Parts: sequence; C-alpha cells; structure tokens
Amino acid sequence: MTDNTTPHRIADTRADRGSARITYPNSLPRPEGELEALERVWAAPKGWRKLSVVNNNYIGVYYVGASFLFFILAGLLALIIRVQLATPDNQFIGHELYNQLFTMHGTVMMFLFAVPAVEAMAVYLLPNMLGARDLPFPRLSAYAFWAYFAGGLAFFCSIFFGLAPNGGWFMYPPLTSTEYSPGINADFWLLGIGFIEISAIAGAVEIIVGILKTRAPGMSLDKLPIYAWAMLVFAAMIVIGFPAVILATALLEVERAFDWPFFIAERGGDPLLWQHLFWFFGHPEVYIIFLPAAGMVSMIVPTMAQTPLVGYRLVVLALLATGFLSFGLWVHHMYTTGLPHLSLSFFSAASSVVAIPSGIQVFAWIATIAAGKLQLKTPALFILGFLFIFTLGGLTGVMVAMVPFDWQAHDTYFVVAHLHYVLIGGMVFPLFAALYYWIPTVSRQPLSERVGKWVFWLMFLGVNITFFTMHITGLVGMPRRVYTYPAALGWDTLNLISTIGAFMIAAGVLLFTIDLVRRFRVTDGPNAGNVWNAGTLEWLPAGDYQTRSIPEVRSREPIWDQPNLPEDVKEGRYYLPGTATGQRETLVTTPIDARPQYLLQLPGPNWGSFLAALLTAAFFMGLTIKLYVPAMIAGGLAIAAIFWWMWDTDHGGSDTEVDVGAGIKLPVNASGSVSHSWWGVVTLLLVVAMIYICLVFSYLFLWLVNGDAWLPDAARLPELWQPALSALAWIGSSIVVILAGRLLSAGGWVAPALLLLLAAPLLPLGIWLEVQGQLETGLRPTETSYGATVYMLSALQGVFVAAVMLSALFVVLRCLVGLVHNGRRASFDNLQLLWHYATAQGLVGLLVVHGFPRLVGMG
Amino acid sequence: MGDPFDIVSGIQSVLSPAGPHAAWVAQLSWVMFGAGGLILLLVVVMTALAIFAPAGFRQAVGQRRTVVIGGILFPLVVLAALFLWVLNGSSALVTAGPPGLRVEVVGERWWWRVHYLDPEDRVHMVTANEIRIPTGMPVEFRLRTADVIHSFWVPSLAGKLDMIPGRINSYRFAVDKPGVYRGQCAEYCGEQHAKMAFYVVAMEPAAFEDWYGAQTLPAAEPALASEELGRDVFEANGCGACHTVRGTAADGVIGPDLTHVGSRVSLAAGILPNNRGTLAGWISSAQHIKPGNLMPSFDTLSGPELRALASYLESLK
Amino acid sequence: MSSAAAAAARLLPFVALLLATLSACGSAIPPDRRVVEGDPLRGRQLIAGVGCGVCHQIPGVDGANGIVGPSLEGVGRRNLLAGVLPNQPDVLTQWVRDAPSLRPETGMPEMPLSEEEAEDVAAYLYTLR
Repeated sequence: MTDNTTPHRIADTRADRGSARITYPNSLPRPEGELEALERVWAAPKGWRKLSVVNNNYIGVYYVGASFLFFILAGLLALIIRVQLATPDNQFIGHELYNQLFTMHGTVMMFLFAVPAVEAMAVYLLPNMLGARDLPFPRLSAYAFWAYFAGGLAFFCSIFFGLAPNGGWFMYPPLTSTEYSPGINADFWLLGIGFIEISAIAGAVEIIVGILKTRAPGMSLDKLPIYAWAMLVFAAMIVIGFPAVILATALLEVERAFDWPFFIAERGGDPLLWQHLFWFFGHPEVYIIFLPAAGMVSMIVPTMAQTPLVGYRLVVLALLATGFLSFGLWVHHMYTTGLPHLSLSFFSAASSVVAIPSGIQVFAWIATIAAGKLQLKTPALFILGFLFIFTLGGLTGVMVAMVPFDWQAHDTYFVVAHLHYVLIGGMVFPLFAALYYWIPTVSRQPLSERVGKWVFWLMFLGVNITFFTMHITGLVGMPRRVYTYPAALGWDTLNLISTIGAFMIAAGVLLFTIDLVRRFRVTDGPNAGNVWNAGTLEWLPAGDYQTRSIPEVRSREPIWDQPNLPEDVKEGRYYLPGTATGQRETLVTTPIDARPQYLLQLPGPNWGSFLAALLTAAFFMGLTIKLYVPAMIAGGLAIAAIFWWMWDTDHGGSDTEVDVGAGIKLPVNASGSVSHSWWGVVTLLLVVAMIYICLVFSYLFLWLVNGDAWLPDAARLPELWQPALSALAWIGSSIVVILAGRLLSAGGWVAPALLLLLAAPLLPLGIWLEVQGQLETGLRPTETSYGATVYMLSALQGVFVAAVMLSALFVVLRCLVGLVHNGRRASFDNLQLLWHYATAQGLVGLLVVHGFPRLVGMG
Repeated sequence: MGDPFDIVSGIQSVLSPAGPHAAWVAQLSWVMFGAGGLILLLVVVMTALAIFAPAGFRQAVGQRRTVVIGGILFPLVVLAALFLWVLNGSSALVTAGPPGLRVEVVGERWWWRVHYLDPEDRVHMVTANEIRIPTGMPVEFRLRTADVIHSFWVPSLAGKLDMIPGRINSYRFAVDKPGVYRGQCAEYCGEQHAKMAFYVVAMEPAAFEDWYGAQTLPAAEPALASEELGRDVFEANGCGACHTVRGTAADGVIGPDLTHVGSRVSLAAGILPNNRGTLAGWISSAQHIKPGNLMPSFDTLSGPELRALASYLESLK
Repeated sequence: MSSAAAAAARLLPFVALLLATLSACGSAIPPDRRVVEGDPLRGRQLIAGVGCGVCHQIPGVDGANGIVGPSLEGVGRRNLLAGVLPNQPDVLTQWVRDAPSLRPETGMPEMPLSEEEAEDVAAYLYTLR
C-alpha cells in the first residue's frame, strides 16, 4: 500500500498553477483598528441576547442541532415501533398509539429532520464556501429557524396527548377527511407541515440568491463547489415542488374546516387529486433530500482522496438531470391506483432513467477515490457505507420502477426497506460523514476517530440487519403500517431480526451523541482548523465575519491551487478586509462570472425575527387547537414583529462608492433588478405562481375526472361584464401603482403614499366582485367540487392580496417617516413587483373560471 | 381442504406463486435480485480496487472515462433491456375475451364484502371475507370501496390494486391449482388496517360449482334445539339489523352476510379461525378483538345463550 | 421507564413457559395433575389453531389475550376449574372439548378437538403453573 506517485502529481500540479505571480487587491500592513471594527460589527450578541442572533454560523449550528434533535426523537418513535413488531400479536402498545407513532416517525423524519437538516447545513456552510460574510437575508434565516424549531416542538408534543396525526405521513384522504378523522390529529399534521413549508421556502430564497449573488470574486459558475450546485438545484426543486404540497395541505384543511369537497367523491371531488399533488411534491422530496447529501459527498470524497473530483461537469449535469427528471416520476407511487397502462409505462421508463444521474455520481466518486489515495478516516468510512447502502437502495428503486413488480412490492415491507435504504444511505450516512468532516470548522476539536469507527460499524451493520431483512419480510407478504401480525405467516423471526438491528443503529447514534457532548465545543476563537487538508473556502481561517478578506478565486479548490491563500486572506490582502461603511456588508457579484457588482449592507441582530417566529408558531397552534381569538392576536403581533425586522433592512443606496481593493469601487446597495431583494422577491413569486398553477391544475384535473358535465353551461356562469369589472379593478390598481412609482422617481413621497392608499382597496374589490358574481349564480363551495375550486381560486387570490396590502401598509408607513424616497426605494419596488403579479394572477384566474367553461361549451 | 391456520407460510407470499401473474412477477423478481446482486458486487469490487489496488490500475480507473462507461452506458443498456423485457412479459399476460367469473369486492372498514356478478353485472350471490374461485380460468375482480381507500392484494396470486372512492378498478387473474391463499388490505385504512384480511379458496371447477350452488340457497333451518334457541337469540338481540341471513327476517346490510357463515374458513375478516368457540368469543368481545369496528361486543348474553347463538351460526354451512 | 417495565413484564411469560416446559420433562408436576398421553407442544399449536385465545389469556400463545373467559395463567396450580370442578386431568381434558357437558351454565362451547387433541391441550395447560 505504499504509493507515492499520486500525492507527488498533485503537489506538482499545484506548484505549476501557483507559479503565476499574484497581485493582491489590498496591500499590507492593514490600517490600525480595521480588524477590530470588522469584529465589532459582526460580533454575535452575548448571553440571553443570543436568541436574537442572525449570523449564519450561529443560526446554522442551532439549525443543525435542532434537526438532529428531531432525528433522535423520530428514531425513538421507531424503536417503540420495532419493539411492538418484534413478536407476533404483541400487546406492547395498542393500535391507537402505533398508528400515531408510524405517522409521526415518517412525518418527523421527512419534514422535521431530513429537509431542515440539509437546509441547516446549507445555512451554515454556503456563505463560508462561497466567500460571503453571511446569507443575503440573515433575519429571514433566523425567522425560518425559530419558526421551525418552536413549531416543530409543539407539533411533536401532540404525541404526548394522544393528539398526534394517525393517517400515515402521506395522509391520503378520505381517511384524513373529517368523516373518517374527526379529531384534530390530522390538523396537527397540517400544522407541522405548515412550519416546514415556511422554513423550506425561506431557505430556498436564501440559497438561490446567496449562490447566485454573493460569491467570491472570480468564482464563476464553472468554479462553483459541487455542493453549491447541488443546493442550487435543491432550492429550485423546492420552489417547484413544495407549492404542490402547500396547495394540497391548504385544500385538505379547507375541506376539513369548511366542508369544501375537493377530495370527496360523492360531490365530485377525487381522492386521487391529493395523491397527484402530494407525490408531485413527494417524489422530488426524496431528491430534495438526496441532492444536498450528494453534494456534500462530492466535497468530502475529493478531500479524503486528496485529488479534485473526476468528472466535475458530468456531476453537475447529473444534478441538473436529477432535478429535472424527478418531476416526471411522481406517478410511480401510484402504480396500484388503476391508472391506464400506457401512462404507467411512461412513468416506469422515467423512473428507470433517473438511475443514470445517480450512476454518474457513484462512478465519479469511485473514479475520484481511484485517482487519489483515500484516507480511511471516519468521514471516508461513512462515505463508503453510503456508497453501499445507497447503491442497494437504488437497485431496489429500479425494481419498484418496474410496474408488475411494484404491484406486488407496493405498500409492503419491501418498499419500507427500499425507502430506508435510499434515505438512510442517501442522506443519513452522508450527513454523518459531513458532521465528522465539517465539525472541525466550528468546534475547537474534531470528533474522536476511535469512537467514530464504532459509530460507523454499529450504524452500518444495524442498518443492513434491520432493513435488508425487511425486503424479505415484504416479499413473504407483510404489508406496511400494520400494528400487529399473526404468528402463522412466518414473519416473526424476520421482524425480530429487524428489531435487533434497529437497536444497533440506536446504539451507534447514542455513541455519536456521547462523543458530540464530550468533544463538540463551539468556538468563536480558533477552531480545529483544516484537519483534512481540504481545498475549498470554508476551510479558511474564519470568525463571526467569516474570512477576514474575501479571496479572489481562481480554481475549484482555491486552497490547494493558490499557495498561501489562508494566510493572505487572514492578513487582509484580499477584498473588503474591513468594514467599508461601518455596517455588516458582503460583496454582491454577477450571477454567471462573479464580477463584483455592489456592496450589500446586511442587517444585524434583531428581536423581530425571533418574536415573529414564536408568534407565527402561536398563531398556527391557536388555529389548530381552535383558540381563535388568541390565534388572531398572535397573528397580528407576528405581522408587527415582521415589520420591525424588515424596518431597517432597506438601507438605500449611498452617493459615494467604496473601495474594496484592487482599485475596484463599488456602489453601496442597489435597486432594481440587480438588487438581492429583487431576486428574492422574484423567487418568492415563482413559489406563489406555482401554488396557483397547482390549483389551476386541480381545476382541470377535476374536470377531466368528472367530464364536461362538471362545468356549468354558459347560461349558468356569471355574465361577462362581471369578470370584466374585476379585471378593471385590478388593472386599474396596477396603473395607479405605476403612476406612484413615476412620482417617486420624480422626487415626491406624499403623492406616492396617497396613490398606494387609493390603489389598495381596488384589489379586494376585484375579488369581491368575482365572488358576488359567482354567488348570484347560486354556486356554493360546499355543494360541488366545481364550486369549491372556483371559490378556492378567489380565496387564494384573497390570501395573496392580503399579503400585498400588508406590504403596501408597510411601505406607506415608511413613506410617512421619510424612509422611502427615490434613493431608497427597494421596498417600494418590491411592492410593485408583488402588486403587478397579483393583478396578473387575478386575470389568469378570471380567464380560467370564465373562459374555460365557455371554451369547452363551444367545442 | 386443510385448515389455513395450519399452513405456516406460503399462503401470502410473493415468492410462492400459484398463478400465472404471480409466477411472472416471481420470475421477474429473481432475475432482478440476481442482476441487482451482481451490480452491487461490481460497485463494491470497483470501490475496493479504487482504494487498495496498485497505483497503475487506480490511475486507469480514475478517469472521466470510468464515469461515462459505468455511470451512463452500462446503466443505459441494462435498464433498456430490463424495461423492454418487462414490457414484453407483462403484455403476454393480458387475456382477451370474457372472464370465467366476475366477482365484485367492496372494501369496508375493516372487512370485505363479496358479490358474485351475473353476466349483466347484477349481484347474484353475496358473501364476505372469502372468495372462492375455480382454477384454470381468468377471474375478473371489480374493486370498489364503501369508505376510505383500501387495496386488494393476494400475493400468491397477483399484485395489488387499490379500491378508491368514486372509482371502480378491475383486473383479472387465474389460479393454477386448488388451495387456500391469504390476502390482506395493503393501503393503510385506519385503526384496524392490520386486521383486514381475507382468504381466496381455489377449487376444481366442479367442486366450485357445487359450492356456488349451495351458497345461493337460503340459510339452513336449525336442526337441533340449541340451534333453534340460537336463532331466537339472534332475532331477540337485533343481529338482523346489521346482518342478512337469507331465508329469515334478518336483512341488515351494514355488516357481512351471514347466510353461510359456518362454511367459511375464517372469522372477522381473516383474523380468527372459524368454529363455535371463536364465534362465541367474537360475538362476546368484538370490540376487544378488533377495537373500533362497527360490531358491538354482546357481552350481556348468558353462557347458554352465547353458546346457542354460536352453534346456530356455525350450523349455517 | 414504564414502557421498559412493560416490555420486561412481557418477557416473563416466555421465561415462565420455558421453565415450565423444562420442568414438565422432570417430575415437578404432581402425579395427580399430569396428563399422561398429552404432548404439550402440540397442545400449544392446537390452542393457537382452534383459537382458544379469542376468549382466554394464555401465556405462551401469541395473541391469546381474550377477555371472555378467565385467564389461564397458572391454571396448572388451580384447585378448581370454572370455580366448581376439581382440577383433575380427566376433568380438564373433558372440559376443553365439551365444557357444557360438565357445566350447562357455561358460555364455553364444545370445541372441535378429538379426545387425543384434548389431552394435548390439557397437557399444555398443565405447564402453566
């Protein structure tokens, strides 16, 4: 095993690349007090005030910790499940608790552990890796984290009161409709999902804008770390996929609360609508969890092998292809619902093809390991365990993609085995590898290598013992989600083996936790350092401000290829070595080639996001347990808290430009389409638009299911002048807002504020006209799924319009105190975006509701 | 026909196929397990070589070429071959022409209502939790639900198909040899999803005809005094409000038809053996055995009344 | 904690069964209680097969947790059967097959067991001490 060629080769390459002379953007020595000023500006609050912290290196660590807590909690639920199933006809727990346990296990693992965990890692890692000082919306991160943590805990506690949801983690109606689930258990599920929807969307906005706008100069897209690529695809998938589940949960909650029959077959609803919406989200969800993990693996493998990733471009293509294909697979969860065979063949082919991007990545990792020399340290062990488990899960994935096989395997323990192989292999093992790998960047000392090997072997053997066995259990006939089984079917021994394996996994996780408690010490002083000799920016020396200066990136592994980079960065030779405006700042660069664009001032700690999060949690909680008045109070206060946090985030531009080094002078802040907040709002609008598109899809789907008779004939539709009036109101309001914008440019602030106040009532007026028109025809939302869908289009518009009006209120308030003028207009510009989108969305809705039935009627 | 509760395994197993559909999937399964095992082995060996092999070999592997061959070409070929083979094999199973028999199964929380249909789709005979079919001919199953989503699944015979509100799904499969096969609801349907099973009994066509003929008859008259007493208890306790016993006043349709309950291999949707003892136990403690189901526990009957009722039901062969 | 205790409590019957089965091979069972011909292991299968557990709690038989009749835990050391009959092998053997013949007021019906099978069942029940 003595092999010296490879390291030499790398060393030579590095020497070659490094031989070009470097001219540094900033010269030494740095002015006195520059570093201290930087430290002071970025310092996290101390003591109990730390709750108001927004720095990503704190929020990220809290976030990872919280998701790990939910991993342990959901794991404990699994252990109870395994004890119950250890013997046939077991009386250990009854069906009531069991059904809540498996629902909570799935829900908590998927929604409170897996998605938040990968997002948490991104909050922690991305700014460091990209050379930014923080994420572009730090207070939004803080809000998303606290809402998730408080809401998640409240949701989890429902199990202690016997109120936990019991409909399975995908909550198929009509089992979860009021008729068969009259209690509030199902509402708790919808509540729990609500929080993760908020934090996922917030994370996606943050990640997309962060990756596209706040990279170190020179880090063009072809030098982007693979992990950032993976997170970019991840965030795009959230933007496209999450809206489907947001809409589905909204429809189910509205059906439960107001008896609008979206899923009730007797009144024209269809339970399969839920399944389409849920799996249109739910299948991509698996890749939403897997891609970030794959991205982490693509960072860890090159370091552990000390050589760049083989096939970087192919891996990027694989990530993009996975993201794209994953939206064409959802029906493979629905093979047994009696869909036509032709469409099954299409989805079967697509489901098989998605194996190829995974194959590309697996072989890229193997090739990288071969190209370098793998050090068999704990992160590498978890990577190898991941390769084995994930490959096996991928292979059974191809099996269940085959329609006839799935007809047998579906909803059995075979699928339970498959999904655990994919998720544990595809996410948990990479996450453990990542924790072992990256903890030295945040902790004073790394975790123990000796304990790490024990943790690995316990978990690796445990997972295979538990879940490999389950393939067989399923094939010999055991369906999933049964709280007990008879002795005579030959399932007892298999189940006992699985239970033993489960406790081995638990022992591994326990050992890990003990090691964590013993060795993990967050530090704001020196951390353990670049212990693996990694090549990317997150390993540069860092404080609360991340790196002292923001490096110029000239390779994919800058630390390997740019000699002396850590020291140069630390001494302040690179960009922005201090604070240029006396505030928190980061560099905004262009999306493709990362040329410096402007200096973005970032907001500091604030109680608004923390309070808004707790109040949001209280609001949803109150609604769920039917305490409406307190809920409304909490909701109102939450909005006030959000105003507070947003209040000082629009700093406005400044007349003077600042020097960040190398003679580059940058404007401070920006407005219009280069501004980070414009990008954020556009991303958010994409989410909103996707929600609306999903509702339009639901309308068309229910029409297809019910046939043309579902639509009213033209005589029973409101007359055309009614929608025309609505359209007029919305278009009129948009024109007024455009006018307000012109006046703002001309230098006024009174007239714009007045015009906003004038335009605002037109938005709800349009909705009122539409609803009135429908009511006059005698259409009722509770009687048919057609009525429910038509009114739901207005309801969704109403929710969005309410948000626009709150934003308008916010802008008007700022006008009144002189915080909005032509030089400080980001909040106004963003409002304009929202406004015009509301008008457009309303018009699309009118076209669907009034145009489509007439179109079909003509045909 | 043996007691199904004596059969330790194989009556509910994908790997013990007893009909052409299940046999095809079992064959497919073994081929995929074999191929999958080999591919997994390949990945493991490749990884081991990537770590431990001599430098020259590792350098040859550590190329972009490896990614293209292993990650794109190889899976493309394997997947295309598998996909086409499966498509071809599945279409070979489709049978044209009228089925030998048509059975409608209605999923209810948590049991199965079974209707044998005549050629005009009318219900010709009603039973519950047990489907007897003749061997050697395709039987068509029309699947409906009365409440939530269930899934109809007899692993030894064919894959599963869901029962969805507002829809009727149908498929057909055949059984090769006489025997008793167990099926179970495969879509989570609430509290007692775990206890929603049934039996498929495959019989030689002639034996099936005899059985079918007997099932269409009204219930047998009580032969013994105890059975007569049992019928009185049945009437006095209002059992007929939920259950039908053809030929008597009992015409309820909420629960299973009991006209020939004594002839079935199981009780309470495939979860209990069927004899007078278990009948008595079920009647007396249905809520204990299967909490949440619609049948109350008749726990105020006296001992002799309970025994009489059980023997009456057992006599309904 | 309580769930762990409950789990431990669940193991006890198995341990008891194991000990009981072992001791059945020796002479721990008093002669007047011993079922001469019966095979307790076969008896246990029969108990599961005919479903005695639908009405009775029977240690060592999966799923036997009925509440209609008395628990059969420790039935081997009871003095009386059904509260009225002497707990003798021949009485128990007849009782498990045809309880009404011994006590007409009982709710326990005749069970589908042969004479020999009834002995096996009784043999198993006598291991529950």
